Amino acid sequence: MPMVVATEPAPAPPRPRRRSPLLRHHGLYLMAVPGILYFLLFKYAPMGGLVIAFQDYMPFLGIGGSPWVGFDHFVRLFTEDTFLVLLRNTVVVSLLLLVFAFPVPIVLALLLNEVRTRAFRRTVQSVIYLPHFLSWVIVASIFYVLLSTDGGSVNNLVVAAGGEPIPFLTDPDWLRPLYVGQEIWKGAGWGTIVYLAAMTAVDVQLYEAAELDGANRLRQTWHVTLPAIRPTIVVMFILAIGDFLELGFEHMFLVMNSLNRQVGEIFDTYVYTAGIQNGQLSYAAAVGLFKGLVGLLLVVMANRLAKRFGEEGVY
Amino acid sequence: MNKARIGTAVATATALALTTAACGSSADGGDGGPKDSLTWMTMLHTPTTPEKGGVIETALEEHTGMDIEFQWVPDASKEEKLNAALASGELADLVSLTVIDDTQVRSALTSGMFWDVEDYLDEFPNLARIPDATLDAARIDGELYGVPYQKPAARYGVVVRQDWLDNLGLEVPHTIDELTEVARAFTEDDPDGNGKDDTVGFYDREESFRVGFRSLAGYFGAGQQFEVTDDGQVVPAATTDAFKEAMEWYRGVYAGGWVNQEFVTVQKQNQQDGIAQGKGGIVVTGLFEAKNYNALARSADPDTPMEWALVNDITYDDVPRRILSDTNGGMGGWLAIPTTEVETEDDLRAVLGFIDKLMDPEAFELMTNGIEGEHFETDADGVVTVIDQTAWEQEVQPFSSSRPSELVTTYQSSDEYVNLGNELMAQNAEYMVANPAQSLTSETFDRQWSTLEQQLNDAYNQYITGQIEMADYEATIESLRGQGLDAIVDEYSASYAEANG
Repeated sequence: MPMVVATEPAPAPPRPRRRSPLLRHHGLYLMAVPGILYFLLFKYAPMGGLVIAFQDYMPFLGIGGSPWVGFDHFVRLFTEDTFLVLLRNTVVVSLLLLVFAFPVPIVLALLLNEVRTRAFRRTVQSVIYLPHFLSWVIVASIFYVLLSTDGGSVNNLVVAAGGEPIPFLTDPDWLRPLYVGQEIWKGAGWGTIVYLAAMTAVDVQLYEAAELDGANRLRQTWHVTLPAIRPTIVVMFILAIGDFLELGFEHMFLVMNSLNRQVGEIFDTYVYTAGIQNGQLSYAAAVGLFKGLVGLLLVVMANRLAKRFGEEGVY
Repeated sequence: MNKARIGTAVATATALALTTAACGSSADGGDGGPKDSLTWMTMLHTPTTPEKGGVIETALEEHTGMDIEFQWVPDASKEEKLNAALASGELADLVSLTVIDDTQVRSALTSGMFWDVEDYLDEFPNLARIPDATLDAARIDGELYGVPYQKPAARYGVVVRQDWLDNLGLEVPHTIDELTEVARAFTEDDPDGNGKDDTVGFYDREESFRVGFRSLAGYFGAGQQFEVTDDGQVVPAATTDAFKEAMEWYRGVYAGGWVNQEFVTVQKQNQQDGIAQGKGGIVVTGLFEAKNYNALARSADPDTPMEWALVNDITYDDVPRRILSDTNGGMGGWLAIPTTEVETEDDLRAVLGFIDKLMDPEAFELMTNGIEGEHFETDADGVVTVIDQTAWEQEVQPFSSSRPSELVTTYQSSDEYVNLGNELMAQNAEYMVANPAQSLTSETFDRQWSTLEQQLNDAYNQYITGQIEMADYEATIESLRGQGLDAIVDEYSASYAEANG
């Protein structure tokens, strides 16, 4: 790259014809090619498979031979009771995540930002990052062992304290708290990275000025740090909204069982049960397509909203 | 026009895929020579896969003259793996289909994805001897889309900790009432004498509805998945009075705490571990399992006092003795051969010949006991002793569930549980109740059953654990009627009437 810059003559009189930016920065564009290819190959090309949502897809006949059924699968989706259950479960869990899990990394980052002992701060940071690197299988297993009524340590404590064992794993009322709790435990530490990075960019002079005006630590955080990272928070929020119906299959699948399925079955797990376990591939594709469209709509809306409030948005 | 273009594209892609596949495998038929290598997608019931190119695999290759590449599918995830494989068409030359009522498997079978092997069986000595009853059970719409796995007709029973019975001075239970009392005593009377309240009676698992409890409901008179009513209707067993009566009883057992309270979260492996650790004393399972529980318990504690009573004659009230078949009356699924992988009749014959050779006594011995002198030894009376349990578990056991027939030879074992289990399973045959709908056809069943069964399964679990009442369970059944349950009953009943004139 330096070469490109070097060969470019310094402010010269307007030349008769300029080379197109594509040619001028060919090095940069070349570097983007693998990324573009990746998206074309693994994100766009598979979208072609979505046509099976409008077919009665049979693997043996293939896409070419399976009969077309139009919107039958969507009609079925919207008319069956399951749809409302799925929508309710997904929306409730997503809202809980937005309300309880989304702010946690921000608060954590603010707290960490105030820690002045470097060594302590580094240690805490590393420790809270770690759960991010555990897979959901491990996280779910750890909680399973801790919370089981059949010899789990938490319930052993409860019983030792004179209580009745609590069926954390099977009681439908416990599923959502458990789910959100696990999301926080696993993801909160990792989530602080973005905010901490944003905070390093805050001009130190602002703090000094605030201090001169008599602001204490809390006031400085409120009036300096938070406004400074607001654009970051907004972007993260828009991204989170985009995933509103996209909770991810793995986590819920691992904590769900037939006793808490009524509150646990979300679109992602339903696509799996209907498609892979019960073999209704077309129907599952229709559910997935619907979910994706709603996600797209939400992102666009959230982005508009952010721009109206004077923020930058994601695009 | 457009369609034609897509067709060409698909054809080209397929051809490409096939060429690549052909390049991938060594000497794969095609140019004259008979097929001498095959891939086999089969189920794994053990925690680890056997080593590639291990002793048994090599010995089997030698015996069959076929270069075998195993693709092991863990049994716990077989539905997902098989469905994914069927959907993507990425199959092996030989595919073990052991989930016989799965929607996707059935539609794959009827769609013509696999060879109809009926006309070829007579060419092979062992395959020609497969009993007609087994072939009947294996037919779908009158077609035989694979070589049926042959198993004992009914392997289930109840195994009870004999040493716990002795500690408490109890007799081996033979009725549901006695069994209930044993379950209570195992929970409340400290059968292992350690002074702690850490045992239960029944030790059940997630698949209760489909496995353990289903077998118990059979004692109450419920059918194996479906049953024929007096007026010729073929109805799901889970909707019958006998089944609901059994559910009420089991709910009582649960409420008493005499079954592990979180069985809905327990996987098969956890269940085996729990039993080996002495958490529970009654298991509804295959009568061959006692040996495995002991082996597992002994690997943790060589001095474990574990002893088992094997019971195959539990009865309830005035219901005559019966036992539901866990193997579809001795048909454990199909060894199916995809037409996409094995393209010519000659290659098909080679694969069938391979299956046939696996049914020779020599191959059966390899897949059951292993290699003489290395895994087992035989004494003058023909009694088989496993000499290296660890090696047997790692190298031999994984193959045993892939035996095309489990009925080739019955060995006398030095392990009394094995002999007793074999004897009791043979007795079961007389009282066996099979699924009457197995050879009937219902399009709705093939398409919807997996979904319906899951909802029944959930309602069952909720009822047993006390989340809902019987009225709610019945309401679930009512709501399923409109979702295909009634259609299945109608189609099966019509098919039954046709078959039985």
